[in-house]
Amino acid sequence: MYISGVGMTKFGSQLESSQELIYEATMEALTDANKNLDDIDAVVVSSSETECNGERQRLFTGVMSSMLRKKVPIINPTAVCGGGGSALWAANKLDYKNILVVGVERILSKNSMKITDEIMMAAERMYEQTEGLVFPAQNALVAQQYMMKYGATTDDLALVAFKNHQNAYKNPKARFYKKEVTLKQIRKSPVVASPLRLFDCSLSVNGAAAAILTKEKTDIEIAGSSLYVDRIATFESADMTSWEATVLAANDAYKQAGITANDINIAEVHDAFTSVELISYEDLGFCKKGEAKKLIRNGHTNIDGKLPVNTSGGLKAKGHPICATGISQIYEITKQIHNQSNERQVPNIKYGLAQNIGGAGSTVAVHILKKVSS
Amino acid sequence: MILRWICEKCNKKWIYPVEKCAYCKGDIKKQIGTKIKVAGITKVSISSPMHPIIPYNILLLQDEHGNRLPKKTMKEYKIGDTYTEERAKTGNAVSTAKIKYDVYEAIKHSLELINFKVNKDEKILIKPSITTAAYSYQAVNTNPKTIDAIIKILLELGVPNTNILVAEQALIGSDATDACSKSGIMDICKKNNVQFSDISKGPFTDVEQDGIKLKVYSEAMNRLVINVPVMKTNFQLTISGCLENLTRLLAPESQRKLYQGDFDRGIAALSKITRKIINVGDASIGMQAQGPLTLGEPAFMSLMLASENAAIIDKAFCDIFMLPAPGYVLASSNGLSFDKTEYLGNDLESLKYSIKRAEPNETPHTDIKVIDFKGCPACLNMLNNVTSKLIGLRGEQITVIIGSHFSEETARGNRVVAFGDCAAKQLENLKIDIAKIDEKTEPIEQVLFMQKLLTTKGIPKITNVDKVKSKMKKLLSKVM
Repeated sequence: MYISGVGMTKFGSQLESSQELIYEATMEALTDANKNLDDIDAVVVSSSETECNGERQRLFTGVMSSMLRKKVPIINPTAVCGGGGSALWAANKLDYKNILVVGVERILSKNSMKITDEIMMAAERMYEQTEGLVFPAQNALVAQQYMMKYGATTDDLALVAFKNHQNAYKNPKARFYKKEVTLKQIRKSPVVASPLRLFDCSLSVNGAAAAILTKEKTDIEIAGSSLYVDRIATFESADMTSWEATVLAANDAYKQAGITANDINIAEVHDAFTSVELISYEDLGFCKKGEAKKLIRNGHTNIDGKLPVNTSGGLKAKGHPICATGISQIYEITKQIHNQSNERQVPNIKYGLAQNIGGAGSTVAVHILKKVSS
Repeated sequence: MILRWICEKCNKKWIYPVEKCAYCKGDIKKQIGTKIKVAGITKVSISSPMHPIIPYNILLLQDEHGNRLPKKTMKEYKIGDTYTEERAKTGNAVSTAKIKYDVYEAIKHSLELINFKVNKDEKILIKPSITTAAYSYQAVNTNPKTIDAIIKILLELGVPNTNILVAEQALIGSDATDACSKSGIMDICKKNNVQFSDISKGPFTDVEQDGIKLKVYSEAMNRLVINVPVMKTNFQLTISGCLENLTRLLAPESQRKLYQGDFDRGIAALSKITRKIINVGDASIGMQAQGPLTLGEPAFMSLMLASENAAIIDKAFCDIFMLPAPGYVLASSNGLSFDKTEYLGNDLESLKYSIKRAEPNETPHTDIKVIDFKGCPACLNMLNNVTSKLIGLRGEQITVIIGSHFSEETARGNRVVAFGDCAAKQLENLKIDIAKIDEKTEPIEQVLFMQKLLTTKGIPKITNVDKVKSKMKKLLSKVM
């Protein structure tokens, strides 16, 4: 399959309904693809259908049909934060000519306590939720194990946050667009769940992203598409410092694309927490185990580095509208391949990788986009 | 304790209870780790509805098998520390165990923490809470899994099933056997060959305690009582837990007297009369909001509490779920100081969060308020059933009085209506003629009368015409 167009709303605190957000992202994707809704043969939509936003809207397939006025197959995979990647993976498996893939979330709608609770529902109920393992806490325990094992420091985490904020500063679609965040601010931000500070955590925002997949050849091929699911609770894994679902999905995607990690020119990585970005460098094969700290320290993953990571600002600073995130990663890589990223443009991209995670390492989709001659 | 289910053949492990290995079809056994170390710690500074008190710590515990478990605590630990849970040093102790998909293990652990022991020849009365015919998911009655687990624990300790009796009586006016069947507990009794008895059928023993005369189920005087209520909010008593469950060890007339008299003193006396008692507060599901019946809702608390003292559990339940401890709980500690209670298994602060409370003057209908002048639970439930049928019908607010301990001034208040036989009798005593609905009136007529009273402007009245109309509607409903 190929990518023929992408679209996304600005990520932020807007009041538009999920339907409006979907429509806006879809319109941009259709325009980008030079298509209209008549051309769409199937739809894959992902949404967490959160309770806290007041929409009380569970049947998103029907909503999509009403919104798009289409009577075509519509399916609704959802894997919380990994929903977008899962939707893309599912769409890639379908045998239709043109498929619209949409992720949407309206999570920023109540106070932070309620939103924290809503997101915590993605944790295991009896073992994690009842023990207060809000998502920062889950990831803090992982980060601590990782730091103890490999000697990474909170300064390394701060460098990840700083890099991604610098990128988001230049991304008009990002929540932190034109909002300067200094390294000092990051290091001084309050501890949320030790060792993670506020600026180690991604931002819950509202937004939608869309992509149109097509069998017609375009200049961007989905060269690799893989999805692996591991256990819901991080503490179940033999090694908490590596998320096996990422390793499996990445290896599978590389194999499909006929490349190795060394061939990747740009990556959008699921930095729900800064520690996850570091662990993902290793799980995606960008470096050996324990060496992620070197990549961030020497600027390897900066926008002007050898392998720019999260040029969009990532979940950290672009924002994380749960099920829309995975597709927004595809948006960024597509724009980069099309040389449409302006101040954030990375030159000479052939392969871009997107890693999208649902839960703490549970449901991982890895996609590799390849620039081809159309 | 860290628990896993492991295949005896291929060693695959699950965090969820499974009975057979779906890979090799091998048998499953429980792997329980007891040598536990702290492998990681995070201090959390953001609150969430179930974890409102911050900061709190989450320990990453690891046992001798390499199995891990997160554990919330307010206590400070260091990585590498040994993690143990202390056992009760005194009788002033309550243990709590969070249920990790295994009710049996949670109860066993909570009982171990309070040093529960039983002689093999001990005769035992298990007293669940089965107030009305309701399905187990509704959390009105004790969870049948809880009763099953307790019977299993007793059998494992060598107590023969012939020595175990499960007994309860439903609310006055309800049938205990029907309620027990619908609750699922009858099936548990049959499965374990344990007898079920309807307490309301007696026999009863006359007991005088602290100057209060009570007719107590005789078996409760002779056996070790394992008191196993479902922990609920209650619009009349704030909560119904261990102490409230003991009230149904009394003969029906004795129960009425308890509610109509000095309830706090009466229940304090009742808590002293059994020879020996062990209390297991079943908050596996538990209830919140306007419990127990009409507007109570399952609260999914996933918790078990155990103590030798009923009041200690009730107090702990109130503290955990941030409810005000009612007077009868505070009066029933039997000399123990709540300030000195040992909390075992989990520290109290780490468990705290708010659930929806029961409001004493509310009924399911926003325009119908109730004032309880020592009415009995059956009467209050009847009222709530009636008012719940009128939700959506707006009217002018009425105040319903139940029980008999109201004054003439109260009865002559603005738009006051009496409900129940006790209230009707008190009106006769006071020679006051206000609208009243008695308990003998059929439910359909009670609803029609209440509808009329709610929608009447000025002084609410039930006229003879209303009575004829309601009779006709009742007849029509039977024909239709």
